[in-house]
Amino acid sequence: MKPILVVGLGNPLMGDDGVGCAVAECLVRDPRLPEWADVIAGGSDLLRYAGLMEGRRLVVVLDAIQDEAAPGTVATLDENAAGLEMRQEHAHHISALQAMRLLSMTIPADFLLLAISIASAGIGTDLSSRVRDRLPAIVEKVLGEIEYLGAGKLQCS
Amino acid sequence: MKAIVIEPLARVEGHGGITVELEGDSIAAVRFDVFEGARLLESLVRGKRYDEVAPVLSRICSICSAAHCLTSLKATEKAFEVTVSPQTERLRDLLFLGENIESHALHLFLLALPDYLNAPSAIALAADRPELVQLGLRLKRLGNLIQETIGGRAIHPVNAVPGGFGKAPSTEQLTGLRTALLEGAKGSSAVVDIMASLPETDFCRANTVYAALNSPNQDSYYAGDKVVVFADGERTAVPAADYRTLTNEEPAPHSHAKHSSFRGKPFMVGSLARLTVNMRWLTAKLAIAAERLRLHLPSDSPMDNNKAQALELIGDLERALAVVEQLLDDGIEDERPVPVQPRAGTGTAITEAPRGLLIHSYTYDAEGTLVSADVITPTALNAASMETHFRRLVEQCPERTDGVLAQRLEMLARAYDPCISCSVHLMRKR
Repeated sequence: MKPILVVGLGNPLMGDDGVGCAVAECLVRDPRLPEWADVIAGGSDLLRYAGLMEGRRLVVVLDAIQDEAAPGTVATLDENAAGLEMRQEHAHHISALQAMRLLSMTIPADFLLLAISIASAGIGTDLSSRVRDRLPAIVEKVLGEIEYLGAGKLQCS
Repeated sequence: MKAIVIEPLARVEGHGGITVELEGDSIAAVRFDVFEGARLLESLVRGKRYDEVAPVLSRICSICSAAHCLTSLKATEKAFEVTVSPQTERLRDLLFLGENIESHALHLFLLALPDYLNAPSAIALAADRPELVQLGLRLKRLGNLIQETIGGRAIHPVNAVPGGFGKAPSTEQLTGLRTALLEGAKGSSAVVDIMASLPETDFCRANTVYAALNSPNQDSYYAGDKVVVFADGERTAVPAADYRTLTNEEPAPHSHAKHSSFRGKPFMVGSLARLTVNMRWLTAKLAIAAERLRLHLPSDSPMDNNKAQALELIGDLERALAVVEQLLDDGIEDERPVPVQPRAGTGTAITEAPRGLLIHSYTYDAEGTLVSADVITPTALNAASMETHFRRLVEQCPERTDGVLAQRLEMLARAYDPCISCSVHLMRKR
């Protein structure tokens, strides 16, 4: 079992909403991906991957965020990130941050969210040009984070 | 004029929500809108080859991906007159059971229970009653495990293909699944205990029309080509191919989803509808559990959908175990999918997704290219019924303060388990 799991979230049928998945798919094919990291391209329900998180030291979640940052910006957030939907803002949905908090109750791993700023989310199988053009830079940034975080975790063991 | 607006029912900004307008003691308007992503996604599969359709449409929803995938395959196979093997039928049934267990565990423990126990969210509930959230997460994982074992991965099943399964689970995998299900079944009694301990929520009473798949295999979510509508004790059968006579969709000016009605009356789909239509198949164990939950069928309370989901959850755990044992007893065959020969035609499939009836209807040309698709989700089918029940709730609410009305309307909306995790799911920073 590899100590780090990277989960890309999103719906590839909804434009930039699927950027987490798109980045995960790039990582799977990237020879620079560290050998101690597994990557999966998932859907929009993080809780569904609980079984794959057992025995990991770190779970890194890649997800889209609609904010004021330039599309393609990658921000590192922990489960208490201020200003994000921690309360049950939507009447019938568990957000990625809420899911991370719930999962941390039963799985003894650290959780970290890499939020990728997007331009738009609408029906369509393509990323917006603003995000698509930034994809190599996003992958580079995410790889750097995984290297840094993973190395820290491996050193601690 | 006073307006009570509950917006955050949708994941798409500006879409979805409940609006109640009061003029003194009278109700001026009750409107419900839900964003229906599935309809817009139909355009993405036009022009695709028949074997490319299910992988795309299974992505409509992360929670209901198996239901969309298998309903899509069933519609395609109907169009090409393909009959799958009994083993395929059984494996598909098991995949549906896994999805239902997962979806109901998520809904009951993380979305509905916080309301009953005065917790503002699942996170808050987890702080006060961690054992409840942990049980919900355990059951959800069990449902995921079934889907992973049969479908080949945790989401968007890759093993399910036109004509059967690309790869059947091994005996070893099924044995592991049986062990997990035997362990998981121990949580069944706790589900009943928890649900029986909750306060009654009979704040909406209404004579309700129900519609559900009438399966030849007892209460299968997958097999069957006939819907039964249950109204005032009368049962009316509608063949899948005639689904438009069931849905009778009409645009509603205030709603992104068209409104459905049967013989002029909105109808409810989902767990409560399934139990009502198929109540004669309730096992003795489930009948006893129904008594403990004070669930009497047919029910006049849509809030009872939560109790019905609890009954299905424990029934599905048993049924999944029975299917796995049957597969192990019979021996799993390494069979190839039935060859598919494309032909021009139309195929309509109706199944029971966790939230209720799911309809996929496709027309193909002679080369097997999709010409048109019609996908109707349970949440869209329920839209008119939800609006009617919201109105009843407001009429029956003795204390029409904003807080009381808003809380009850939200609870009722949640009891319907609307599928709003479809489409986008992104975070927003405010």
